[in-house]
Amino acid sequence: MWWERWRIAVMLAPTLLIIVVLFFGSLGYGFIQSLGYQPNIGNYSISLDAYSTVMFSERYSEQFWRGLRLTFFVSLASTAIAAGLAIACALLLRQTFVGKRVATFLFQLNLPVPHLVIAIGIIFLFSNSGLLARAAAQMGWISAPSDFPVLVRDTEGISIILAYLWKEIPFFGIIVLAILQSVGEDYEDLARSLGANGWQRFRYVILPLIMPGLLSSSIIVFAFTFGTYEVPKLLGVRFPEMLPVMALEFFLNPDLNARAEGMALSMIIAVIVLALVVVYMWISDRAIRQT
Amino acid sequence: MTHVVLQKLNKVYPGTTQAAVQDMHLDIPSGQLVALLGPSGCGKTTTLKMIAGLIHPSSGDITFDGASVLPIPAERRGAVMVFQNYLLFPYMSVGQNVGFGLKMRGVPQKTINQKVIEMLELVKLPNIANRRPKQLSGGQQQRVALARALITAPKVLLLDEPLSNLDAHLRDEMRELILSIQRQLGVTMIFVTHDQEEAVLLANQIALIFEGVLQQYAPPDVFYRQPISERAARFFGGVNFIAGTRRGDRVTTALGDFVFNPAGKDSAPEGAVTLTIRPEQIVLQPADTRNSIAGRIRARIYVGTYTRYKIVLNDGSEIEATRPGDVGSLEEGDAVRLAFPEDRIWVVAQR
Ligand SMILES: Nc1ncnc2c1ncn2[C@@H]1O[C@H](COP(=O)(O)OP(=O)(O)O)[C@@H](O)[C@H]1O
Ligand SMILES: [Mg+2]
Repeated sequence: MWWERWRIAVMLAPTLLIIVVLFFGSLGYGFIQSLGYQPNIGNYSISLDAYSTVMFSERYSEQFWRGLRLTFFVSLASTAIAAGLAIACALLLRQTFVGKRVATFLFQLNLPVPHLVIAIGIIFLFSNSGLLARAAAQMGWISAPSDFPVLVRDTEGISIILAYLWKEIPFFGIIVLAILQSVGEDYEDLARSLGANGWQRFRYVILPLIMPGLLSSSIIVFAFTFGTYEVPKLLGVRFPEMLPVMALEFFLNPDLNARAEGMALSMIIAVIVLALVVVYMWISDRAIRQT
Repeated sequence: MTHVVLQKLNKVYPGTTQAAVQDMHLDIPSGQLVALLGPSGCGKTTTLKMIAGLIHPSSGDITFDGASVLPIPAERRGAVMVFQNYLLFPYMSVGQNVGFGLKMRGVPQKTINQKVIEMLELVKLPNIANRRPKQLSGGQQQRVALARALITAPKVLLLDEPLSNLDAHLRDEMRELILSIQRQLGVTMIFVTHDQEEAVLLANQIALIFEGVLQQYAPPDVFYRQPISERAARFFGGVNFIAGTRRGDRVTTALGDFVFNPAGKDSAPEGAVTLTIRPEQIVLQPADTRNSIAGRIRARIYVGTYTRYKIVLNDGSEIEATRPGDVGSLEEGDAVRLAFPEDRIWVVAQR
């Protein structure tokens, strides 16, 4: 029956329709607003003014470009470091050892904790008046808690990266663990008997096997860290600040004209993330093929 | 060509009390093709992995040409394993798969490429180096896995259930390929199987293992003629077992006395024994009455190349006999005499 062939497509259609409407609807609406079209305050003309203001005006340009750099640095660093550490943890957790169940449970403990709570935890632990600073002073490693290196509200975004690591390592970790478990150890045993040493088994067996899952999850993590404001708002400094925080401030601005600039900045973030995802997928696809 | 010896090999997995492999002693002359045969869970894979170096024995030793290999890690031991499910790396081409072992040894790519072509020819799969494993049939994947193992010129090739995943017609092809490669390269091969037919088809020698304990180590035909126990006989398709008492070359049973010819090798001590004879060795309607008993045919099952008869004996027990082809004169309900030729009777100790 012709209908049979279309059945699944028809069943999926309502869901897909909602997704498509939301995706293009919100992007389209945001884009129109970023062009300055705001009938409620009598703006009917459209222009790219908001974009040029955000990127090139005397008032915002330095904030924007420095912010862009910081956003890149934080997202890349937290994604790459989290992925690397998660692989190491997953390889350890996969072994048989005393306390494995407890260790695995503790490893995943942070997953359901909101980012905000983790950010506050970072302040509690790493700030100049935090637990580590006081402990270090007690132990006599530093003369006073205020001598503790600035890790929170620092200009390099270290504390933001720490917060993201704290949260994303278990996220990557369970994905890698799940892949390793489903693949089993036969491939490694086989490689071993064919003469592969420890490093070679990691490089030529484990890495290619976990790569597809790792790549798609790092796209998720990268896009997330590039576009959310909670953690950098709490742990960042005023200058440079990450782009999502900058966008948030445009929206909180009572001046309704700032709305267009906020939307323009959000559009820029969206385009950068989308472009990176495309490039990333293209590169990783080629890399996987050429292993 | 490597002479492999397992000496009092034991493996107790951590957290278990029952040994997975127990006092295994096995001498595998170089260039032989030996099967480790036994039901699932009897310790075959454990033994194979200990030889490969992937599992450490709890005690005992493994020697290659007289030297212990236990201190040598798996990656340098030269005992290469081919897994049952082939395990071709899905992210590599067929050629890259085959060349893997040489790449790990740092062999130049040009040499690798040449060897890959040679190996693919050896397994009769030329011109597929650029394909992806996904594009191959199960039988082809199996042969690629074999080429990938052979390219490293292993001292010992370890095969896990090499024929079990193949269709009947591919089994014959694969069997011949393995045998011809074995003859060509003379490499010592040890393979694992739970299927006695697979073991008989391929092996020079079969090591029968139950619950981690080696039962009998002999050429295939011995398991049909002279099984070590009733259980071993049953594993090889034996169905006829009669309890009795042995005195010299005579076994006294409820059905009468049988004379047998121990044929050099003594099977069981005097006393309580089980007499066994294979269905195809029983003579129906013999010319004389030596060693014969009476029965009645309960069922006649025509199998094509032979016919199976289920025969009820005087004491109510049942025995099975087969005759080649279709010798049509015996029907269900007929009375028959059946004789056990002296040199076909085998007795094993009762447990
Ligand atoms: N890693 C392990 N830990 C504990 N017991 C195991 C392990 N691997 C195998 N065993 C046990 O050892 C016995 C032999 O297993 P195995 O060598 O895989 O048998 P086979 O290959 O003959 O089916 C089985 O009882 C099995 O449950
Ligand atoms: Mg097994």
